[in-house]
Amino acid sequence: MERLIYFIRRALRNMRQCLFLCSVAIGTTAVALTIIAFFAIVVLNVQQLTADWSRQVEIVAYLDTVPDARTLQGLHGKILALPEVESVDYTTPEQAFSQFRKRLGNDADLLSGVDPDILPASFEIALKPLFRNQAGVDTVVTRLQKEVGLNDIKFGREWLEKFESFVALLKLGGAVIGGFLLFAALFIVSNTIRLTQYARRDELEVMSLVGATSMFIKTPFLIEGAIQGALGGIAAIVGSFVLFRLFLYESLSSLLLASGSGAIAFLPLSFQGLLLSAGVFLGLFGSLMSLRKLVRV
Amino acid sequence: MIQIYNVSKAYRKDAAALSELNLKIPKGDFVYITGPSGAGKSTLLKLLYAAEKPSRGQILINGQNITRMRGRRIPELRRHMGIVFQDFKLLNSRTIFENVAFPLEVQGKKRFEVSKKVFQTLKLVGLEHKLQSLPLELSGGEQQRVAVARALVVDPLVLIADEPTGNLDPDVTLDIMGLFRGANARGSTVLLATHDREMIRRFPRRVITLENGRLVDDRMP
Ligand SMILES: Nc1ncnc2c1ncn2[C@@H]1O[C@H](COP(=O)(O)OP(=O)(O)O)[C@@H](O)[C@H]1O
Ligand SMILES: [Mg+2]
Repeated sequence: MERLIYFIRRALRNMRQCLFLCSVAIGTTAVALTIIAFFAIVVLNVQQLTADWSRQVEIVAYLDTVPDARTLQGLHGKILALPEVESVDYTTPEQAFSQFRKRLGNDADLLSGVDPDILPASFEIALKPLFRNQAGVDTVVTRLQKEVGLNDIKFGREWLEKFESFVALLKLGGAVIGGFLLFAALFIVSNTIRLTQYARRDELEVMSLVGATSMFIKTPFLIEGAIQGALGGIAAIVGSFVLFRLFLYESLSSLLLASGSGAIAFLPLSFQGLLLSAGVFLGLFGSLMSLRKLVRV
Repeated sequence: MIQIYNVSKAYRKDAAALSELNLKIPKGDFVYITGPSGAGKSTLLKLLYAAEKPSRGQILINGQNITRMRGRRIPELRRHMGIVFQDFKLLNSRTIFENVAFPLEVQGKKRFEVSKKVFQTLKLVGLEHKLQSLPLELSGGEQQRVAVARALVVDPLVLIADEPTGNLDPDVTLDIMGLFRGANARGSTVLLATHDREMIRRFPRRVITLENGRLVDDRMP
């Protein structure tokens, strides 16, 4: 314990003496992690909202003719028996008509004298959460066509496809850019620590000559790396929060909340913790890399 | 006891810095190592404190074969050695006290043990009144005295000095020699590389002469 405090003090002294280099390392880590956090905020929010929306994803199957009670019951049962289906609602032409009339509002008198039968009867089919995606929709549509014999089917397929590929693109972009930046940060951190080692080579030489173990020599550099990484991680959390407040919140809201539901959220606490640990890991690993080439007397 | 058997060292192929060296240095001995520049004096000392490995041959210190020693055991070896250089190798951002305390700090000694021992040693070299100064505020002779104090603070079994007075005035040289002789009197084996003929004449001891990496002379006074 006393030993640890001693090492931390030495690490802090190192950092004070190489303030500029140290700030560069912290800054790079912070920028890399901030950009990753930025992508994460967008991806998480888009995913959250698509999840909200997909709850409303429905398949609507229109019927050519209005079925009699027995056929209706048979169809209803068959659809409900499909493993992907959560619930089925039957809408009569009259119900559809009155809904339509409601939606027209003041223009409803346009419909006066029109026969309710012009609108088809339909089933509205909601899927179980697991199947609220493109693949699930596809399976159910195929089954409705082949197994139930319904052919006139509408579903939000294109819409889903677009959002799914948008999220995939975001994730990929985030991973590529983030990975690249992490790599750059690792490189810079390890070189910064190598430079501070170079600046302190006299001390390292003397240490070694008076019998310092390699653990004794290296530990402060590892601690320095970890501290730099942690500070970079904290800076990234603060930085991405500022970005989020100043800019991301508004643009995400206008982009995603057109439907007026849901809310834009900052990174959850667990993710912030992840960001911090990523920083620490980066710093530790960076200094470990630089220590492998540490000059031995 | 230092035993050197058939030791050769070549930094590069076909250019031996030391060849076929055989030596025995009993415990408590005081030995000058002399010879022209490039003769291999520093190389021999580096082999002894394991900063270099011999290309061939064996070196035993107190019966321990340091040529076979693992890298992780080297610190332990050096903790029983004091090493002094021509260029002092002090840490200029640390005070005199901190410089002398450094070997003890590295060994993880307790704080109060450290202060007491450091103060004693500084008194021995006559610098107890300068303990808050920085090395560059001192004269060359004083700086070398600090370096010697740093070597002596661990009560070394072996004291190794590589041209310790090469940069110093004759009267300062006398001071430093006095410190080495004192350490020897207290039981440290002293190995001192020098080409100061005057010093050897003045304090006659065993003299080992190297030339082109070969032992050419080994005589007692
Ligand atoms: N690190 C090194 N790399 C290559 N050659 C070296 C190195 N150190 C010393 N030498 C060579 O080894 C020989 C002996 O050098 P050294 O032991 O320093 O001699 P001295 O201390 O007696 O002046 C010299 O020829 C020198 O050039
Ligand atoms: Mg030399």
